[in-house]
Amino acid sequence: MKHWNVVNRYKSGIRIEKKSVIEDIQHVCSHGNECNFECIDACKFDAMKKNNGIVYVDYENCVGCGACERACPLNAVWIHEKKAYKCDLCDGEPECVKYCSQEAIVVEV
Amino acid sequence: MCEILFAGGNSCGGVKMYCYGGKILSVDLSTGEGVKKTLDEKLASRYLGGDGFGAYFMNKIVDAKTDAFSPDNAIIIAPGLLTGTPVPTAGKTAFFSKSALNNGWNESVMGGRFGFALKQAGYDVLIIKGKAEKLSYLVIKDNEVAIKSAEHLRGETTRKTAEEIEKDEGDVVVASIGIAGEKLVRFACVDCDERQAGRGGIGAVMGSKNLKAIAVYGSNDIEVAKPDKMYELMAKYYEMMINHPSFEDDGKYGTGEFLEWMNKERGTFPTRNWREGVFEERKEIDPYYWAPRYAVKNKACIQCVKPCGKAFVMKKFEGMVDGVEYETLYSLGSNCGVASIEHVAKGNELCDLYGIDTISTGGVIGFIMDLYENGLISKEEVGVDAKFGNGDAMLELIEKIAHREGIGDVLAEGVKKAAEKIGGEASKYAVHVRGMEPPAYDVRGIKGMALAFMTSPRGACHLRSGAYALELVGKFWKFEGVDRFSSDNKGKEIAEMENFMAVYDTLGVCKFSRGIFLLNFDEILDAAIGKALKEEELLVIGERICNLKHIFNIKAGWKKEDARLPEKIHQPIPEGVSKGSYVSEEEEKKMLSDYFAARGWDKNGVPTRKKLEELGIEEFMS
Repeated sequence: MKHWNVVNRYKSGIRIEKKSVIEDIQHVCSHGNECNFECIDACKFDAMKKNNGIVYVDYENCVGCGACERACPLNAVWIHEKKAYKCDLCDGEPECVKYCSQEAIVVEV
Repeated sequence: MCEILFAGGNSCGGVKMYCYGGKILSVDLSTGEGVKKTLDEKLASRYLGGDGFGAYFMNKIVDAKTDAFSPDNAIIIAPGLLTGTPVPTAGKTAFFSKSALNNGWNESVMGGRFGFALKQAGYDVLIIKGKAEKLSYLVIKDNEVAIKSAEHLRGETTRKTAEEIEKDEGDVVVASIGIAGEKLVRFACVDCDERQAGRGGIGAVMGSKNLKAIAVYGSNDIEVAKPDKMYELMAKYYEMMINHPSFEDDGKYGTGEFLEWMNKERGTFPTRNWREGVFEERKEIDPYYWAPRYAVKNKACIQCVKPCGKAFVMKKFEGMVDGVEYETLYSLGSNCGVASIEHVAKGNELCDLYGIDTISTGGVIGFIMDLYENGLISKEEVGVDAKFGNGDAMLELIEKIAHREGIGDVLAEGVKKAAEKIGGEASKYAVHVRGMEPPAYDVRGIKGMALAFMTSPRGACHLRSGAYALELVGKFWKFEGVDRFSSDNKGKEIAEMENFMAVYDTLGVCKFSRGIFLLNFDEILDAAIGKALKEEELLVIGERICNLKHIFNIKAGWKKEDARLPEKIHQPIPEGVSKGSYVSEEEEKKMLSDYFAARGWDKNGVPTRKKLEELGIEEFMS
């Protein structure tokens, strides 16, 4: 909502996969903590960038080819309507952290 | 078999309407044909969504005289107006159909992601008619709609069905039925994300249409009229909800939090097929006991910030369930005299997997236990030692009902029809109103709720009025000083509460938030659809909807004589705080007359021409 002014679960930077009654898996970017920036290496269009440790999509350049989605070891990038979507930490104030009533989402620096 | 109804391309166009998908999809399973229509702006402004659309389309397209299991009956599914917006706890989806229990009006409102996905796919109403040749599932992926074979899923549980369809179809949200729906158990439910459209046998109607599941993928944006304002309101109500006293209780104990209060402080917790109003053995089924021991995490519906669901992992039995909800703690617990929480949780899991409503299931099992203890049915006939409190017998009876085996085949008809089949004195022990087994409120000590059981359009129901909270506490919304032991002034109270609750089902907002929002939705609706509808305007829409449901029932053959309380409600509660309280036949008649007057209906409960014209719905009743 905050980013795109619409509600669309495929434009969200975090995805919840329901596995079972007791298991919900969160797919979200680790910004290099649990990967080696495979998405940046995979992008041939200079659309996946890093600034202050935050990996984000440059929509000017993104063509929606899906190379980043295939490269990401954490399933944390996805293509929707020919654009890549992922977590960009909401300029340092992640909305998901603010509105998780169960305090289940934390940012570890 | 893979019949493609549509492939690609949106031909619907139409006016831009915020918060809506914009289309109505009708599918005929007999012919395999589908029709998409643009949602009419006028219709949207008169009925808003969810419950409103259900009330309109049930009257418009379903022949009220048709049998629930006829291909001519329809299943209508409509997400609430605010479902899919960031409004906290607005995630509900309403299912409508003729009732498999009483052949009248039925609706059941579900949590889970189904309505959200349907709206993202572009549909505000999904109408399913006809009957597929073979067991099938319907798959909707934005503009593409197809009917596919589900023969390989025959007999599978709701959970397994969803998993298998997800494997084949990818990222879809699945609403499915279990074996009970296939076998036309009259209180079979529909399951999605471990949440159910539980009551009145919508799962059985799906089964009668050879429809095993509906899978939806929706990827469109849901737009609101004023995004910045919507964001601000989301933040405001989020804060309000997490600071509300119910936040901590829901989080720790779920919906059963007030069980002991109902039991000891109010004496209105129905026990052993409504013999008693206090369950002395309640220790284990109280969430204050089981939640710290068995609940491993909280579970929430989509859009909810105050999760009342609990992931319950069993120890003695194998299994896990999203529960156990207050109603089930009564139905499979106190109503069957079962004090073991493991048995209740296992029973809850079996009901969810086979796809049967826990409230009705506990209702029919409590009934057969009552007959058994009173010598009206033998052990040979029941097949188990069906004494109150025998948890193993309760579990075996669930198996029998879901598979329609032995006595289960009789009980699968619901308590009213089962009593008629068994004959003799059995009907005296059958606790139901218009064929529906009641929820966990001993209305002998909550007289307004007794009236609400009679007037609910689907039979004994707590959610159409939600008046239990008002009656038990004595105040809510604009009501104060309400006396639960009195039968005076209940007509207006229940009519107004029904109008109030219809608004919640129309907006798709969870009723557990009714103490937070009340009917102050003007700011929210301004941000959502650009129209700041005030309480008075919403209540007119609520009243219109309640009248339309009743009109449908009248066309289906409803008579005021059907709106009767069961025999047991005329007997006093034997012990506890509400000891001695009961509803007399005179009170029953008086409350019903008061209600008809408050509704502007005639003495037989038929809406007057004046009332119909006032609400602009005269076309629905000739």
